[in-house]
Amino acid sequence: MGKCPNRKVKKRRYSHKTARLAKFLRKGDDAVYDELQRSDSAKNPLPFDEDLPGMGQYYCLHCDRYFAHESVRDEHFKTKRHKKRVKEMMGPKPHTQLDADLAAGMGMPDNGPKLMPV
Amino acid sequence: MRLEKCWFCSSTVYPGHGIQFVRNDAKIFRFCRSKCHKNFKMKRNPRKVKWTKAYRRLHGKDMTQDSTFEFERKRNRPERYDRNLAENTLKAIKKIDKIRVAREERHHKLRMKGKKAKEQKEAAIELEQGIHLVKAPSVLAQDQSLTLPKIKVKVQAQAEENQAMEE
Repeated sequence: MGKCPNRKVKKRRYSHKTARLAKFLRKGDDAVYDELQRSDSAKNPLPFDEDLPGMGQYYCLHCDRYFAHESVRDEHFKTKRHKKRVKEMMGPKPHTQLDADLAAGMGMPDNGPKLMPV
Repeated sequence: MRLEKCWFCSSTVYPGHGIQFVRNDAKIFRFCRSKCHKNFKMKRNPRKVKWTKAYRRLHGKDMTQDSTFEFERKRNRPERYDRNLAENTLKAIKKIDKIRVAREERHHKLRMKGKKAKEQKEAAIELEQGIHLVKAPSVLAQDQSLTLPKIKVKVQAQAEENQAMEE
């Protein structure tokens, strides 16, 4: 990360793309939902990543956010935004392309007979 | 030619139409028009937006369970070309479509059953509750305060103004 190369104004600001980077890296609702469903069975320790805040050790699954310290994360758990998100993730499965296809009057996808005997 | 369905509104997306968004986990989102794309970007839930098929299905507005829905589906195994089969399929498409439209019409008719009676009942209640607001024509003629007063407007002045504009 550095200065914006095509910066004309003498202001110390980064490119708008850098500012929006977090948005692109954030997981979608359905991905988070799947992760939550999966994590109930198998929980593995978070890997160390020096690029992430707090070495990537303090993570909120629901909001897909990393925190610098445990206390900060616990503070986040108390926020309205987090609680709203948890409620949302406890609800029904997010809309997918399959739901859209079924709503359009299509049947379930047909993959044909199994090629390899199980 | 594969006809895809819009992620948001479930309408058919023909080749060369709409826009496609591939998320960084390789999930594909197809949209039939900018309206659906914008709604997606606003993070709206299609199940909560009334004009989408997903909403209509969920709330019993459209027919949900029918044998005609079993024909159109994504077939991931290619079919070996057979002239007779292709001909029969083309014939069947028309027939199935006709049946589906008829059934949908029947579903709509059944859904709308009792709607007119309900509307009339509501109108009768409204009339009963608000009858004091309605004045008989004879009362209007007697009491001048209920009608708007008649005001005389000078037309001559207006005509002069118009002339000035023309000049």
